[in-house]
Amino acid sequence: MKQGNRERFLVSPFFVFFTIHGAQLGVGVLSFQRRLNEIVGHDGWISIIIAGLAVHVLIWMVYKIFQASGEGKDIVRVNIECFGKWIGNLLNAGLLVYFLSFALVVLRTYIEIIQVWVFPLMGTWQFSLIFLLLTYYTVSGGFRIVVGLCVWGFIVPLLTIFPMLFFSLEYAHYRNFLPVFDHSIVDILKGAKGVTFEYLGFEMILMYYSFVKNAPQSQRWAQWGTAFTTLLYLIVIFISTVFYNEEQIKHVIWPTLTLAKIPEIPFIERVEYIIISTYVFVIFPIICLAVWAVTGGLKQMTSLKQRKSLPIILAILFAASLFFNKREEIALLDQIVSTTGFYVLIIYIPSLYVFVSVKKRFQSKASMQ
Amino acid sequence: MKRALYFILVVTFMLAGCKSSRIVDQVQIIHAMGYDWKKGKYVGTAIYPTFRQGPMTKPDILTTESSTTYDLIPRLSSKSALPIEEGQLRLVLFGKSFAKKGITEIVHSLARNNKVGMRLQLAVAKGDAERLLRITAETTLSDTLYLSNLIEQNIREMNLPNTNLHIFLYNYFGKGRDPFLPYLEKKGNFVKLEGLALFKDGNYVGRIDLRQSFLVKLLLDETKNGVYQIPISKNKKKGRVLLENLFATSQYSLRRGREPIIDIHLRIRASIRDYPTWLDLPNKKEFQLVRKQMEKHLNKDITALISLFQKKGVDPLGIGDFVRSHTRHWDEKSFYKGYRHLQIRPHVNVDIIQTGIGE
Repeated sequence: MKQGNRERFLVSPFFVFFTIHGAQLGVGVLSFQRRLNEIVGHDGWISIIIAGLAVHVLIWMVYKIFQASGEGKDIVRVNIECFGKWIGNLLNAGLLVYFLSFALVVLRTYIEIIQVWVFPLMGTWQFSLIFLLLTYYTVSGGFRIVVGLCVWGFIVPLLTIFPMLFFSLEYAHYRNFLPVFDHSIVDILKGAKGVTFEYLGFEMILMYYSFVKNAPQSQRWAQWGTAFTTLLYLIVIFISTVFYNEEQIKHVIWPTLTLAKIPEIPFIERVEYIIISTYVFVIFPIICLAVWAVTGGLKQMTSLKQRKSLPIILAILFAASLFFNKREEIALLDQIVSTTGFYVLIIYIPSLYVFVSVKKRFQSKASMQ
Repeated sequence: MKRALYFILVVTFMLAGCKSSRIVDQVQIIHAMGYDWKKGKYVGTAIYPTFRQGPMTKPDILTTESSTTYDLIPRLSSKSALPIEEGQLRLVLFGKSFAKKGITEIVHSLARNNKVGMRLQLAVAKGDAERLLRITAETTLSDTLYLSNLIEQNIREMNLPNTNLHIFLYNYFGKGRDPFLPYLEKKGNFVKLEGLALFKDGNYVGRIDLRQSFLVKLLLDETKNGVYQIPISKNKKKGRVLLENLFATSQYSLRRGREPIIDIHLRIRASIRDYPTWLDLPNKKEFQLVRKQMEKHLNKDITALISLFQKKGVDPLGIGDFVRSHTRHWDEKSFYKGYRHLQIRPHVNVDIIQTGIGE
């Protein structure tokens, strides 16, 4: 009976493609060329491939962690089982705070873009309120609704925003790629570290893994999701490398949006405004997924019901989004969160993987004896 | 739960009313902006259409002066009944004295401005920008978009190389290339395109004529139009043929060595539009003769043009950028030290495809 009940809340393994890809592709793609350009210039595409490969390995580790620690567990239980109640819960709390600030960064950065590009006179609270009310509506519908949103967050931008980038090939200078490998390997690896930030978000699978039907089989889709993200990043970096030169891109804050200034349609003269509005479909699933992950984690940790914790979490997000107002503050917040995320990826996941697999080996040896 | 949903619905709709709106007939949409430097002061001129009856528009002009470039638009506002909106700006025209003084500030401001489009045209006027704008506003032309349409038409159909704000910024910021802009001149009651203005680091340093700007167009990238007059002679008879470019491609190659040599292979597929009557073009021999003479002349003209660029120390063709793409750890400074004496050799190949429908 209980099993059947639970089945209602699960999603097919196939949907992991959308949740992984949707969470990775966020506001970063609007400006990562600029950061990458500062480190590796026109060789950025190599860094993207390296970072993509690293993320594939990390996803493989995540699946190994869950396979080793048994069916139907999420990260909250795994942490407690591995590190004991105190340290485990501390790690859990850390993860939840990280997910919350991840949602905050995405929300605040997007609002900043709207403020800079479209409505300079508008206050943060108005957007923030609309967004978070919608988030409340979505997340209170449950995980399946959030995943459904991720699917639309994949389809709509792919059909509307993505094709707009190709118009700028009119001004392509393919020579900009040459000479290949003009930067040292150290620089390229540094660039790869920088790009890893753009892959952040997939680690929320730690939270929703137990909500996937036949979860171990979904790894294929998770890997495809990451591969698709890498492909998109490669296309974006390709277009911006041939469109801008290295010096010019330093003067552009959101190179991808400025790319979208090129297409002109007779009835829509300036496409970038349409793109900024449509970008809600990219932003919104991430916020919902992160907020869902936080409330889900709280439920596991403290048995606080999601319906009760959700308004509190959203209120915290709302208050926090008002707190960051200047460009530097937002940039600093972004930097702190992405650095934290980077270490979550590069230290926490691998060490948990090592811990879990060593523990399993000992346990199986013990049970053999 | 249901009550909460209603609440969300109502609040969402009400908050949507908080947006700031700009209604089209309650703003002054400026179409062209001119900048001048006159007697120690900056002069800004804006032309905009005012809507009279129905679809009829009448261009109007606003002008103001200031000691800095930054507050020209705010100052224009103080002379205008409606708020000034720059989103539809199609042309920014610099007076020559302003361009000589440097257009860096304006360019940076345009690069930051999210309202203007990337297809905005920039141009340089001989004399005052204000006078040119007045011509388009006050004479029979009476069209606020006249100048920008003129430039765009010439890019599409004639000798002007492709330019707009994006291309200017690309050349301006990029290492190993210098920007250029269309150069306009007042001729009676009309405005005439007179070639290209050359810039070095945002300062006007000279100009080339419309004939030469066709060569620049050929050398920059694949092009599909433009005309060029070439003198031709046979048995002491002298005349001219008019070459019309159908499709031209240029290919650069670098020969490394102690003294690097750059070869430019230019292939022009052209039709001959007009030629003297004494020329018997269907005759294969004469055809070859014309071809050879054309190639020779084009080679000579291109060499002269490039050495002019080298003498002035400007690089609108992006030679430096080309060398960068073939050199590891390219250094801009040391390259331009030797730029003046760099050997650049054009090799023109003309294919005459058509001579029209009659013989």
